[in-house]
Amino acid sequence: MGPSMKRTERLVNFVSGRKFRKSWYAFIIAFFLIFVILPTVYVLTYTYTQWNAIQSNVLDNKETVDMILGAIAASFEIAAIVTIIDFVVGLPMAWMLVRKKFRGKNLLDTLIDMPLAVPTAALGFSSAIFWAATPSAMNAPPFALGAITSPMLLIILLHIVFSYPYMVRSLAAILEQIDETYEIAGQTLGASKLTAVRTITLPLFRAGLVTGIILCFSRSLSETGGTMIALSTMANSAGFNTGPTLIGTWKKLSGSNPELIPQLAFVSILLIIIALVLLVILKLVVMKVRLPMGKIWPTPEKILSRGLVPKMKDGFTVLFLAFFILIPSFFIFSFVATSSAAVGDWGPFLNSLGYSFAIAAIVTVIDLALGIPLALYISRNPSKKISHSLDILVNVPLIVPTAALGFSLGQFWTDQSLIPSVPTLLIILAHVAFTYPLVVRNVTGAMEEIDPSYEETARTLGAKPIQGFRRVLYPMIKSSILAGSIMAFTRSLGETGATQAVVSDVVTAPVYIVQLVNTNQYYLAGLACIILIIVSYAAMLLLRYLTRRKQGAL
Amino acid sequence: MPEIRLEGIRKRYGSIKAADDLELSVKDGEYICLLGPTGAGKTTALRIIAGLTEPDSGKVFFDDHDVTDMEPEDRKAVLLSQSYSLFPHMTVAENVLFGPNIRNWSEEARIKTLANMLDLVRLTRRSDAYPKELSGGMQQRTALARALASGAEVLLLDEPLRALDARLRISLRYELRSLAKSLGITTIHVTHDQDEALVMADRIAVIRNGKIQQIGTPIEVFERPISPFVANFLGQSNFFQGSVTYVNGRTEVRDEQGRTVAAGTANVEVGERVAVGIKVGNTEITKEHDGYLQGIVERTLFEGRDVFVDVMVAGLGRFSSRIPAGRSGEFSVGDKVSIDWSPEKATVFRLKDRSLDDELRVE
Repeated sequence: MGPSMKRTERLVNFVSGRKFRKSWYAFIIAFFLIFVILPTVYVLTYTYTQWNAIQSNVLDNKETVDMILGAIAASFEIAAIVTIIDFVVGLPMAWMLVRKKFRGKNLLDTLIDMPLAVPTAALGFSSAIFWAATPSAMNAPPFALGAITSPMLLIILLHIVFSYPYMVRSLAAILEQIDETYEIAGQTLGASKLTAVRTITLPLFRAGLVTGIILCFSRSLSETGGTMIALSTMANSAGFNTGPTLIGTWKKLSGSNPELIPQLAFVSILLIIIALVLLVILKLVVMKVRLPMGKIWPTPEKILSRGLVPKMKDGFTVLFLAFFILIPSFFIFSFVATSSAAVGDWGPFLNSLGYSFAIAAIVTVIDLALGIPLALYISRNPSKKISHSLDILVNVPLIVPTAALGFSLGQFWTDQSLIPSVPTLLIILAHVAFTYPLVVRNVTGAMEEIDPSYEETARTLGAKPIQGFRRVLYPMIKSSILAGSIMAFTRSLGETGATQAVVSDVVTAPVYIVQLVNTNQYYLAGLACIILIIVSYAAMLLLRYLTRRKQGAL
Repeated sequence: MPEIRLEGIRKRYGSIKAADDLELSVKDGEYICLLGPTGAGKTTALRIIAGLTEPDSGKVFFDDHDVTDMEPEDRKAVLLSQSYSLFPHMTVAENVLFGPNIRNWSEEARIKTLANMLDLVRLTRRSDAYPKELSGGMQQRTALARALASGAEVLLLDEPLRALDARLRISLRYELRSLAKSLGITTIHVTHDQDEALVMADRIAVIRNGKIQQIGTPIEVFERPISPFVANFLGQSNFFQGSVTYVNGRTEVRDEQGRTVAAGTANVEVGERVAVGIKVGNTEITKEHDGYLQGIVERTLFEGRDVFVDVMVAGLGRFSSRIPAGRSGEFSVGDKVSIDWSPEKATVFRLKDRSLDDELRVE
């Protein structure tokens, strides 16, 4: 045993001590509460401390109130419609991926994730060129649809593109854990395939459904960058705003006009409160209400289970993926290929790209280091009240629209004097706040499926808790950790709303693209999008490759 | 190998007492079976010994060392769970080497241990297989090899044979016991199967509602149960309730309908309310002479070597008798028969203020 071995062993012994474990978990929980939860909802205190300003600047001004309420209503309408569509088309896709064997399945599996690799700013630009009627100055390719003139419809189509993968992945993840034998048992008891699935399997994956709905709904509710770009790309979006785009616009103006702070606070508060109320309702409705699963229609369900119908369903599912998700995502390539080249200055873009990557990397590392322990704590102490509350709290930053979160967090860290409000630091903190739950959610989800007896057996065999994690648990939840970090990384990379709302003058890659589109530099914006897409995709592949290779010893 | 002692262990889950002032001591190298119905607190006791569950109060001793607060990994007490918990991403060899790897044994020691253990459980040829490629019996043996390879001094078996088919279960009983005994490991084996406990254990501890009811050699616990529960849980008994009418060398008990039966000596007084328990194997039925009770044959159950004859006794309920299969022709449904037993084979239990049903209830 070499001296380095001795040192490792001492370290392992140290971190396995009960005292260390207790204080470590206390630290993790404190971090979560102080750095994630508190800043996220901080702005709510403004209803108390800044009420007079809100009253005089917002509530007494009917025009502003109408504008705010209109934008927020649009946000929630869009999110609801998007989520429903995602579920309807995402379920058959998840089903195909998990339960069916066919050629090209791996390809399909990769295709689903493609939109995740594309920052929403690029997606917004790409989809808008494909779908929307665009100004002639833009020179959209002749085969672009150019048909959509309603801003609302365009945003719905856009939001489906980037939320769809979340729904498919959440549903597939749970589906994979559900033993097919339940369904087979149901079928041998006389149920048709559809009846068995509907009455047996669907109720079992409520948990996955909740995750999927929360992810899609909150993604749509939060999205800023892509929405802003899509709106400025389309020919006539006159005055259409969602909650987050309103925050983005006002925050930028608030630099020169501090009068706007109460407006910003008011929009943020409304978004946060409504989102939280919806979260509670969702949890209650999906988990508690018993759906009328007992009802069975044998004949129609039997007909629907056989012959052409399932084949058509699968065909439609794949077509939907191609036409509504993939083509809009990558239409940007054809735009750049068909437009005439314009010369531009690449310096600022490359700088912003490097900056975005650095932030995303730092954020992902923080998420993993502090998120996995919280997930372990939550899933291994399910009886404790505190872990139950944490489990609910984790969803808060997920469901709170990131623009509102960013504004709240920016105010929180500038209102106090403990940590200097360095822009980069604030951006990292903001990105951690909304990506952290992605890691925690993914890992707790996986942990719930794993029998604790594996770790317990490992411990009775002599493994310290950290060794048990490294050698037994980690290999089992590796793919969920990977999924969580990919989500966190790409979310951070693509985020516009929170970044803008925290600090108005820092330029990350997506913010820079928004600026390019706003100043009509379409060609340059298109190229920037393509570079961002390629680089993000490469980063994703690299991450996959690394986690597959790295299986050394602790 | 350590002696294990539990002192005053209590553990509650909500309103359920999983351990209620649990006392148990296991000798060095002893093979003990913890026998009880589902929910009696068997697994909780095992987990407390392993260090996976913290008792609300009470102490656990290994060889007079208080290990109540010791971490599971430091106890050298390996738990073999019902599902074996073989690590699915590791081969048989990697599973077996888990303990030695964790404890950083030398390469030489690892190779030797692996070879020995695989040889011991006859899995040398499957060392590169993954758990899911193995049969149930092989999985069980792998788990055992993994436990032994970790340098375990205490083996905690939680229903280790439950998931196996009947024939394998029976053949593994002897194998498991002789393996543990030959290595001298202190073993606690949790089971709800009385046959398994009778065959395998040095001593049996019968547990109910988080309390040890009786502990003793299989013969003691079987032949001299101290409560109706133990009498019924090990080898099924028939019961007769009444008041003691005579004590001297043997005990006579009469019920409200005036039927009198005899049982062995007991420390009871005339007039006391008691239950008399007679094992089904000691309950004779006959048409030739008058026994203690009369009844009508309700059904006969053929179980290979034996036949169970159930007799309905008016006002008392069903009495069962186990007779050799060769005699099965003597009785058919509807026959009037007499029930009889040798008084020394019948045990008297004081009921005090409890009812027999409470005594027998299996939660």
